[in-house]
Amino acid sequence: MSEAIKQQLEQEKSSWFYKVGVTFLLAILLGWSSSTFQINRVSDNGLDIAKNIISGIFHPDRRLLFNFTKTGISYLVLETICIAFLGTIVGAVLAVPLSFFSAVNIVPKPIALAVRWVIMAIRTIPAFIYGLMFIRVTGPGAFAGVLTMSVCSIGMLSKMFIETIEDLDVRIIESLDASGCNTFQKIRYGIIPQLSPDFISTVIYRFDMNLRDATILGLVGAGGIGAPLIFAMSSYRWNEVGAILTGLIICILIIEFFSTKIRVRLARG
Amino acid sequence: MRLYDKVFPPKQMVLSSGKTVEERFTRIPLILTGLLFMMILSIHITGFRISTLMNRGNEFFVILNQMIPPRTAYVSQIIQPLLDTIKMSLLGSFLGSILAIPFSIIAAGNIVKNKWILMTVRLFLSLIRTLPTLITALIATYIFGLGTMAGMAAISIFTFAYVGKQLYEQIETVDMGAFEAMEAMGANRFYSFLTAVVPFVLPAYCSTCLFCLEGNVRYASILGYVGAGGLGLILNEKIGWREYDSVGMILLVLFMAVFLIEGISYYIRKKLT
Amino acid sequence: MIEFSHVSKEYSNGVKGLDDVTLHIGQGEFVAIIGLSGAGKSTLLRSINRMHEITAGTLQVNGTDVASLNGKKLRSFRRGIGMIFQSFHLVGRTTVIKNVLMSKVPAMPFWRVVPGIFTKEEKIDALEALDKVGILEKAYMRADQLSGGQQQRVALARTLAQHPEIILADEPVAALDPVTARQVMGDFAKINKELNITILLNIHHVELALAYAERIIGIRSGKIVFDGKASSVDKAVLAGIYGEEMPEGVEELYEAV
Repeated sequence: MSEAIKQQLEQEKSSWFYKVGVTFLLAILLGWSSSTFQINRVSDNGLDIAKNIISGIFHPDRRLLFNFTKTGISYLVLETICIAFLGTIVGAVLAVPLSFFSAVNIVPKPIALAVRWVIMAIRTIPAFIYGLMFIRVTGPGAFAGVLTMSVCSIGMLSKMFIETIEDLDVRIIESLDASGCNTFQKIRYGIIPQLSPDFISTVIYRFDMNLRDATILGLVGAGGIGAPLIFAMSSYRWNEVGAILTGLIICILIIEFFSTKIRVRLARG
Repeated sequence: MRLYDKVFPPKQMVLSSGKTVEERFTRIPLILTGLLFMMILSIHITGFRISTLMNRGNEFFVILNQMIPPRTAYVSQIIQPLLDTIKMSLLGSFLGSILAIPFSIIAAGNIVKNKWILMTVRLFLSLIRTLPTLITALIATYIFGLGTMAGMAAISIFTFAYVGKQLYEQIETVDMGAFEAMEAMGANRFYSFLTAVVPFVLPAYCSTCLFCLEGNVRYASILGYVGAGGLGLILNEKIGWREYDSVGMILLVLFMAVFLIEGISYYIRKKLT
Repeated sequence: MIEFSHVSKEYSNGVKGLDDVTLHIGQGEFVAIIGLSGAGKSTLLRSINRMHEITAGTLQVNGTDVASLNGKKLRSFRRGIGMIFQSFHLVGRTTVIKNVLMSKVPAMPFWRVVPGIFTKEEKIDALEALDKVGILEKAYMRADQLSGGQQQRVALARTLAQHPEIILADEPVAALDPVTARQVMGDFAKINKELNITILLNIHHVELALAYAERIIGIRSGKIVFDGKASSVDKAVLAGIYGEEMPEGVEELYEAV
């Protein structure tokens, strides 16, 4: 065997060692966390319950589904959409300044890092705690839901906004400068057109996510479809659960379809 | 949109060279009207009032103020639920990501040519994805009883749907030339897949799983709220007793744990790509 | 008309960008500036619309002393001078026509600037500028979907829509492949002839400069070492401009002659 081939073989060995190491580490982590897998705790009638749930979900309560008054599914879905919509917009309005203050190409690095810590702290507090805090401000209901959604959106929105801002192409500013634009005109025509497609795309994506997450609000009485859903679940009315979930899922799928279309168009033009 | 172009016909512009150019009527009024309508409707339905915010906004900080300073003595009782939360998310993320592999292979258009299989699997994945995690967790507590098992199940289901979608999209971007070359050399489809597709998707797949794990730690801490074990359980308890200084401590610990895990995961993801 | 008289530019680190440059460029000339990178080509070009400051001497453009301009006056002076860059400097995410219409912005009233409302005349003018560079049919496409050569033509159209008397081009073809580079140089020559616009461009492709420009200015270490007709450039002149570091291709160019 030539020297070169030997050397190559030894390199192969080190990659093999690395693979074993990773597998070993993963095995340890999984072994450690396997204590959460407690199949013996399954309640005896667990399977029966599962059967009931599934049959209930597939036989939704039609009266509730086609009830178009304020207690019907359609109104609840509409209310949830409204909470997610307004929450996303308010969240975006709050996230824009935060993002500019944590982009390293706009402000000095220490400030950017400090603002990023603030954003992370905002993100750590779970939604239902925000819900409780805002209910003190507005009383229970959809208004508290809007505010909760907006604060919960800040983390992800600003993370994506910061990436867009840090990708800004500043060379365009030079050419606007050369054609005699003032500072405002440079921002309006050099910066905003670069940011807006990505920003809008992010906001639409977040609206999608908020619609999915809106059920959490029901836990603390901050409006939306979550409260009746959880209520129906805790009283084992699975047909009702089926009806509410059907309404919610259809609405999410339709909105996802359109939002994906719009976002593809924004990305490709 | 065609109807829109009929109602607002494109503008004709004649250049001095005699050429004409058609400019479509701008869509901006349509979009603005739609947005304005949604705004008014949402404000009406949700009862959004700026004046309430102005007058009572300070109430928001009441609970926040009670959280500070956090009760440091409480930390000894937080560690165990925190570890539970981390275990739940680790195992849940792992099981979900493994389970996602076979499904995303049959959901990838360049591996499976049957349109019906593709459609069914993709619809299944997106149906699972629309199920709110909290609801999955709640259902899981009915089936598996209260405790970490329910939370772990909910997390695996969520991870399954998320990783499944990402993975089949990643598989579809793979250049199939190498796969064909392997088949031409006489390998069967499984071997060809293993040698030609897997190396392409593996880094991206690992990165997606880690990204999902980061989010799951955060999510897992909420799930306890419906009885699915972990930090959420004691959070719920302390909120119920209005011991907000303990709540503050839980959040502080969670913040540090998430920071650490995100840091490690970010480092590994950077190395993967 | 551009008049340099004893113009110098010294950077804060003591390096001389321009060293006692005296130059006269008449309306409608097509001038190519050649030289090594770092010789001061870019500084020479950019001092004309005061993207760079000069430290000594006087520089007049159509009778205006450039150094005396400030704020509003400087901006309105710049409107009369078009500028083209090596990397196009377009907003890729908006349509071609919106990129061209940007040249109208400095002269527009505030209420039209904010929402971005352009008059029909402005749009037709922008379209005619696109027609002049031969990419009228791309007007409503997004700029990032065009090829490099097409993008440089959009940049050219944007400058034309400004109706400038002078166009400054800083390495306009450096980022393009040879065939496209020739086409774009051809566009410059056509615009120079048909619209009588003065064109000054920096270029490191000597053979392109000789093929399209009428007048060549050679610059070395901030000093003008050659100024004359393209036809009078020979191997000795190039050696004077480039010294030992003759760029690739130039040798063969003259061996062939």
